[in-house]
Amino acid sequence: MDHLSDVLTAISHPTRRAIIGQLAKGPARFSDVAAPFDTALNAVTKHLKLLERAGLIERRKQGREVFISFRPEPLREVAGWVKDYERFWTQHLDRFERYFADKNEKKAKGK
Amino acid sequence: MTIVPARTVEIRIERTIPAPRNEVFDAWLDPNIPGSPWHEHEELIVTAKAGGLWYWRSLGGTPHYGRFIEILAPARLRHSWMSPNTLGLETMVTVTFQSRGDGTLLTLLHSGLPADEPARAHEKGWNAIFGRFGNIFTGAADKGGCTP
Repeated sequence: MDHLSDVLTAISHPTRRAIIGQLAKGPARFSDVAAPFDTALNAVTKHLKLLERAGLIERRKQGREVFISFRPEPLREVAGWVKDYERFWTQHLDRFERYFADKNEKKAKGK
Repeated sequence: MTIVPARTVEIRIERTIPAPRNEVFDAWLDPNIPGSPWHEHEELIVTAKAGGLWYWRSLGGTPHYGRFIEILAPARLRHSWMSPNTLGLETMVTVTFQSRGDGTLLTLLHSGLPADEPARAHEKGWNAIFGRFGNIFTGAADKGGCTP
């Protein structure tokens, strides 16, 4: 997979987009990055690995602490149509997932 | 004429859908289900069998079309995908459905998309050429610009 595909994969998941949004405010420790999410720590680690592979984050050691910071450069590569397609599929999948979630909710209420 | 971009990229998206995979597979092919690729259309043809054609004109009026390559219910489907935005390239959409407990892991891979900048540069060049070419017949003055 080429680098642009890595970047598109990295930003295709809502959790990873939320991590980017959080780090865009400033560098943070791993524990701070993981705190807002209701997922297992190893899931957050996997998300960070994908972001790192895309060059969207970097880790820096400061004394005994490791800080993770956001690198915006790769996002500039993702422009125009390809980004439109990524958004197109993400929106479709959001609606598709919501359709089934609503259906399950109605079923549960009906019991 | 096909404009061959310098490189292509792929988009890969994974999503866990809270339903069994046969239900998810059938819903993906059903244009009445929100989120199905063919939902919300101005015009629609979907012949869901290997070799079958699909044509979808979205609400914005953009035409998209392609052929089903493989329909392997409830595990996988593959079809080509062309639109003005693929610059004449036959891009490929592969969707796989894997059972995950009570749910389904849906993986969508859209490959062969023209990488943006080189393709745009090509298009700009061709537009400038075709724009001038067209002007010969319409008698319009050649301003040498590109169509937007």
